[in-house]
Amino acid sequence: MELKYFILRRSLVIIPTLMGLTVITFILLWGLGPELIYRGINSSPKVNIPLSQQALILSQNGFSAAVVNGKLVFTNPIGMYFNFVSDLFRGNWGYIIGQPLTAPTLQAIEFYFPNTIQLAVGATVMALLIAMPLGTYIGARPNSASDQVGRIFSLSGYALPAFWLGLVLIVLFGNNGTAGFGNGTSGNTPVGIIPYLNIFPYFGNGTEFLSTTAPKGFFSSTFGQTLPTHIFLIDSLIAGKLNYFVIALAHMVLPVATVTYGVLAGILRFIRAGMVDASGQEFVKTARAKGVPEGQVIKKHIRKNALLPTVTVLGLLISGLLGGVVTVEIVFNYKGIGWLAVQAALNYQAWGILAITFLFGIILMVTNLIVDVVYAFMDPRIRY
Amino acid sequence: MEQNVMLNQEESQLSVEGLKVRFFTSKGIVKAIDNLSFSIRKGESYGLVGESGSGKSVTATSVMDLIPDPPGRIIRGKIFINGYNILNDLDRLVTIRIRKPTDVRIKRRKRLMKRHNYIMSGIRGDRVAMIFQEPFLSLNPVMTIGDQIREAILLHSRVEIANSIIKRETLNEDDVSKIADTLMAQPDNFTRKKLIVRVCSQYAIPELAKLFIDLFENSTDKEFITKELLSLVNTKKTGLSLEELEEARNYFLLMDRKHDLSLRLLEAEKQENEKLAEKLHLQIRAINQQLRSDYLVYSLKRRFLRRFIDKPFVEYATGRTLELLMQVNIAGPERVIDAYPHELSGGMLQRCMIAMAFSSNPQILIADEPTTALDVTTQAQILDLMREVNKTYNTSIFFITHDLAVIAEMCDRVGVIYGGNLVEEASVKEIFYNAKHPYTTGLMNAIPKAERRYEKTARLESIPGSVPNLIDPPTGCRFHPRCKFRMDVCSEKKPKLVEIEKEHKVACFLYSDEVENEIEEEVP
Ligand code: SF4
Repeated sequence: MELKYFILRRSLVIIPTLMGLTVITFILLWGLGPELIYRGINSSPKVNIPLSQQALILSQNGFSAAVVNGKLVFTNPIGMYFNFVSDLFRGNWGYIIGQPLTAPTLQAIEFYFPNTIQLAVGATVMALLIAMPLGTYIGARPNSASDQVGRIFSLSGYALPAFWLGLVLIVLFGNNGTAGFGNGTSGNTPVGIIPYLNIFPYFGNGTEFLSTTAPKGFFSSTFGQTLPTHIFLIDSLIAGKLNYFVIALAHMVLPVATVTYGVLAGILRFIRAGMVDASGQEFVKTARAKGVPEGQVIKKHIRKNALLPTVTVLGLLISGLLGGVVTVEIVFNYKGIGWLAVQAALNYQAWGILAITFLFGIILMVTNLIVDVVYAFMDPRIRY
Repeated sequence: MEQNVMLNQEESQLSVEGLKVRFFTSKGIVKAIDNLSFSIRKGESYGLVGESGSGKSVTATSVMDLIPDPPGRIIRGKIFINGYNILNDLDRLVTIRIRKPTDVRIKRRKRLMKRHNYIMSGIRGDRVAMIFQEPFLSLNPVMTIGDQIREAILLHSRVEIANSIIKRETLNEDDVSKIADTLMAQPDNFTRKKLIVRVCSQYAIPELAKLFIDLFENSTDKEFITKELLSLVNTKKTGLSLEELEEARNYFLLMDRKHDLSLRLLEAEKQENEKLAEKLHLQIRAINQQLRSDYLVYSLKRRFLRRFIDKPFVEYATGRTLELLMQVNIAGPERVIDAYPHELSGGMLQRCMIAMAFSSNPQILIADEPTTALDVTTQAQILDLMREVNKTYNTSIFFITHDLAVIAEMCDRVGVIYGGNLVEEASVKEIFYNAKHPYTTGLMNAIPKAERRYEKTARLESIPGSVPNLIDPPTGCRFHPRCKFRMDVCSEKKPKLVEIEKEHKVACFLYSDEVENEIEEEVP
């Protein structure tokens, strides 16, 4: 009961944060300037018309702009900010024109975001699955040989940039289309890379591969006009196509492994530190004096306490994860939100950049809220 | 002398012989305990006094074999609990039996360590229980009090629990009327209440206790009560299959037996009694065989369906927890059982610790400064409680403190420890009125006494100097740098603890010339 109010209160805190986020996004918009904003103002902006007319169109859409010294500039920031915010919440996020696709920004995000969710969630789950038992094991044996190995493992996870690790994985395990599942577009093999073991595909999430090998009209016949969740792993299962599922899974291996390593390194370090810290505490002695077998002391008494500090840093790790996802998506040509962000930036898609900034902000807020709630749930000492 | 020790061992619950504990730190080897021997008899409460840093807590921890390793290690000595030497002589065992390459030795050491841990987890909490100084830190902050006490109960009393549940399921009319008779015969409400609680937990129906009490308060008609009781009991019968329960009981009996045999096996190996060891080994093997064949299904079920199969046990344990909490005078045990440690006061938590310690009726209770962190009124209550428990269960108490007033209140015999050595041991009376060792007399004079305030020289005597540094302890008598009666011999030789009067031992050259040989063993 009390927890419910706590969640409610925490969610209310989101509102001012959200306002701050819109301010920052708006400052970004201001900085990008009216010309870039104009280019995504509607689905087919006329670029070759006089600046004064462009200013008119902008003002009709809620952006007060004027021509000063032969240049298009924004005026009246206050009114514009409120217009911008109301547009934002009404789902009017402008358009991405041309590269990498032409679509309303929101729709583009709807299309690409599920892929990122698939990658990020997959990596987090994998990292947790590995880090929990591993961290428990090495945390219970501080300074042993296994602890040293674990330390090297997690430090290198910190030190290795994800894009580099991704390239190494491609070199080692990548499959350039000559065997196995293929890559769909073999021409996209990064220059100079000759895959060594030829096992896993490293291009996209599997839909690209299928769209080149599958007969025309494949998607519409298999999944209906739209993919129901946009998460290919789940879509293929919903459609009951096990072979597609396997293909999707194979495409996930390398990107997920790359992202997992970074996240895993962070979690592992914290679980280990938490374990060492907790095992030095007095209640562990009580548990042993009670006759609790050693294995249970570790699992039940020590780990429960060790996970508390770990949960608090999980929020931080997620922000790191988002950053990592961007580069990894580029390396693997994996069409997620990070990929979209880079493409938007490269192609001066102001609306795309704004939207993704805003989206990342929201994701961070939500994950932090979840982390807070989980923490309150786990630690009875937290007063709701 | 040897014979004396043997005798002591028999009548004693706990006896420590020649204990030596070292801590290997970066600054040097801390000689925390040096050749400490004492024994505690059945039902007795034995106090160990000393300044902080004198090694009293280390002694307590050693008795449970809970010295954190690294940095600490018990390098020599024997600790008998009910005649079993619990100390692992693993290093010795390994080297005796095997003189082969190191990896074999490590493997063997690991295996022995595993067995030692298995044996110890059956002894700790079951035969010896311990309560600690800081109740706030000694309970797991993320588990409820109930969970923690339940855990202790479920660890050690499986067979008893299964028995009570079987008893409940087979409870019939005659039994109920007999119970009603005994309950009716109770002289007053209070004793009846207590008895009801006990009976209810015996028959695994603790949740009925309240209804029973109401029933007896509202009516005195025997027929009516019997009928009501019967119907109440019948509603609680879960119709668990007796077969399954008996299987569970037999399984746990077997586990207990295995534990017992393993203990004796380790003992036999330590004494290098090959024949006995062989025999015990075969018996253990037979039990393992049986566990794998007859109880395979049950143990698998326990592994995968624990939640369901343990349900009656957990229910019973909950009832027993309530009962224990009531016994340690906690008001509103229903509330406390679901509380987390941070929600309770220090005194309450210490009561919970005592309840936990007594969950399996241990023969020895080690209390490591249990009242130091509490305020004075709570202290008195906790001490009263411990005394009461000590009487009702005839449990020996090993009481560690720096507070002489507490000792005077609680203990039958007292040992005074200084610098890791026992310097004096006598009955409480002797220590307070006839202290011999200069250190003990110094301690006595440092106690503030009411009558002294009216004397002209209203000053407390203190012992000059401070606790010795145990990395590089003073030679000879550890106390000599601070001693008023220091002689030449004191700094050269170490006095031996000798019995100078009946039941009064002192280690000081003022009373005896016996010298203790100091041998510093090689430490691997
Ligand atoms: S042996 Fe000597 S130094 Fe030690 S207490 Fe006795 S008199 Fe003092």
